[in-house]
Amino acid sequence: MTLELLHIGVSYDGGRTFAVDDVSLAVEQGELVALVGESGCGKTTTLKTINRLVEPTRGRVKIEGEDTAGRDRVELRRSIGYVFQGIGLFPHLSIADNVGVVPRLLGWEHERIARRVAELLELVRLDPTEVATRMPAELSGGQQQRVGFARALAAGPSLMLLDEPFGALDPITRDGLRSEFADLQKELRFTAVLVTHDMTEALLMADRIIVMREGLIVGEGVPSDLMRHAEDPHVARLMAWPARQAEQLAAMVGDDGSEPG
Amino acid sequence: MSNLADRFAELPDLLAGHLLLSVSALVIGIAISLPVGIAATRRPRLRGAALAVAGLIQTVPSMALLALMVPLLGGMIGFVPAFIALTLYSVLPVLGGTVTGILEIDPTMTEAARGVGMTDRQSLRLVELPLAAPVIIAGIRTATVWVVGMATLSTPVGAPSLGNYIFLGLQTRNWLAVVFGCFFAAALAVVLDRLVLLIERATRRRSPRLAWAAGVGLIAIIVGGLLPAAARWIPDAGPTLVSESRVNREIASSGRPLAGRELVIGSKGFTEQYILAELLGLELEAAGAVVGTRPNMGSTILFDALRSNTVHVSVDYSGTIWAAIMKRPRPIGRTEMLIEVAGWLEREHGVITVGPLGFENAYALAMRRDRAADLGIRSIADLGPIAPRLTIAGDPEFFGRLEWTRVREIYGLDGVRTRGMDSTFMYGAVRDGAVDLITAYSTDGRIDAFDLEVLSDPKQAFPPYDAVLLLSPEAARDGKLEATLKPLVNSISNHLMRSANRDVDVDGFSVEMAAKRLRDRIVSSRR
Repeated sequence: MTLELLHIGVSYDGGRTFAVDDVSLAVEQGELVALVGESGCGKTTTLKTINRLVEPTRGRVKIEGEDTAGRDRVELRRSIGYVFQGIGLFPHLSIADNVGVVPRLLGWEHERIARRVAELLELVRLDPTEVATRMPAELSGGQQQRVGFARALAAGPSLMLLDEPFGALDPITRDGLRSEFADLQKELRFTAVLVTHDMTEALLMADRIIVMREGLIVGEGVPSDLMRHAEDPHVARLMAWPARQAEQLAAMVGDDGSEPG
Repeated sequence: MSNLADRFAELPDLLAGHLLLSVSALVIGIAISLPVGIAATRRPRLRGAALAVAGLIQTVPSMALLALMVPLLGGMIGFVPAFIALTLYSVLPVLGGTVTGILEIDPTMTEAARGVGMTDRQSLRLVELPLAAPVIIAGIRTATVWVVGMATLSTPVGAPSLGNYIFLGLQTRNWLAVVFGCFFAAALAVVLDRLVLLIERATRRRSPRLAWAAGVGLIAIIVGGLLPAAARWIPDAGPTLVSESRVNREIASSGRPLAGRELVIGSKGFTEQYILAELLGLELEAAGAVVGTRPNMGSTILFDALRSNTVHVSVDYSGTIWAAIMKRPRPIGRTEMLIEVAGWLEREHGVITVGPLGFENAYALAMRRDRAADLGIRSIADLGPIAPRLTIAGDPEFFGRLEWTRVREIYGLDGVRTRGMDSTFMYGAVRDGAVDLITAYSTDGRIDAFDLEVLSDPKQAFPPYDAVLLLSPEAARDGKLEATLKPLVNSISNHLMRSANRDVDVDGFSVEMAAKRLRDRIVSSRR
């Protein structure tokens, strides 16, 4: 599935100031694009214009060349997988009901939903017999986010939107889940837009990175290119950050990995 | 013991009335406030308005809200005004719970609901209402407890409830009846509250077992509460549902003048009225009628009920009708007034006066005999010079009546401080010196018992207050009722009435017992 954003602008004050200003980007089928930048740069707002949780003030969004403004909002959202910041499982529903929520909205039959739920839980490496009837609060953070992924994948979307999906997890769980998600994306070949403020995450996972600042796109490119030569000084600083951190850490333990001193 | 047995005999009817009133008010209250509450979470302007209105209703004292319903409904009494007042009262907790419950949901949950593609309606049904349920249920439980409690206050507007016990007990110093009423009202509140909780658990856990239990509980309560009373309302109800004594009585009553007729006796809220209502009940049941009572009504409410055939028989006082109903400022002679009142009642409202009962229960000012002697007071006229130093207690109704305005003007009592209190307590208050004077009822047994002096009224500021037996227009139509009650005319002397009142207020007899004793005394005084 291809996705295009054409001159998107979002204003919350009737057009005086823009939280997102003239953002254009194109995502190819099967590509994983990361939107990065500091808090408040407009990356999450940009993401939400894609499934129309935020209506753009200007510009248009096209999926497979079709303008989303002409589509039913509810139906559009059901066709797009969405993984939330802070996971966002429904606490009053069992794991199976959380995963099956979109198929249920789509009116699938009971048995088909049950089969799909079991399949998805296995896909995100959870044991259906063990977790299906449990409530979200009974699961660990990592398990909950796996369920979050399963819910987003339930209706077999060809486009996934991910808003800080690993933000609430501890570092070790996060690393494991990232690589699993990358594998899953290669396997299922869906198109994905990932919002993150973690540069390492963007560099390791994304096929292409879009850097935003104060509502504008200030840099764009494949990770290796951006790291090597970014024109914008802000982008350069951001891209250098993970490497600098790694150097600092390496210096602490000595370049050869032995104890210093 | 017979006192307790009497209380139990009334329980089915009063419990049924209470239950019907509370449950229907709650059901309709929830049916109104839940959708309004949901709509209010979507529209901030509606939210402000709805919560303001509900809050305003809540600031009206519950007793006043009930009382206001009567004139607002054009003088209607009984179930409807009580039901509307209770329904209004139940709105705020449920509305508030709904609005708070929904607005306090974590916004990521509503965004998640929209994000997965729920419509507004689906988000409400599948996410917001379930998440807000604990708060909404808490509101419903608050409303349940409030409404069941407030329903006890519906007695004075003529809706039978467990409050009848409380008002009767308060007026006749029958504390057992008060405790009895409180106990069953509290028990009903607890049971309904538990039931709401059970229903909530059943829906939250989607447990068919709990849902069954809740359903069975609800049906059991409604059937258990209403059936014994319903059995009485349905004439053909099988004998298993009706107590044997009742069957016997019904068999025995066939062929009597009022056989099978349903008659309602209304009474005001003081001992004498309770005793007379009971006495009338005995007479009418002996004539074969099925009798209901509406106790503890205010003078004008009782009159409206009689006029509109909600109540069929009542005892009122000539001076009260003259001043409070006919609004005549100046009293006239005793016999003239009886004739004027009877003529006016029939002409204006079709209300039939069977005749005077034979005693007068006048408003009179009374004070302790020793204190009157100390101050050298014999008549109301002596009070004028020391008026600013005096405090007078009376029933709240009195201080709003024309008689008080007149007494104040005629004897120059403007400086007197007034304290409204229930008539049960004012005799004790004057005896113990808490107040100087009271607006006593001249037939009250406590005047003698507490050694009080009734001050004379040389300028005749108070009108005469002959007790008169009144029938509603419909009940009087065929003359049988009038004929049945005619023997009571001029049969109760001041002395007899005062002894009966004393039986209850001083000697602790139950109202039922005092009425039986009064009936026996009437019979023996005729011989």
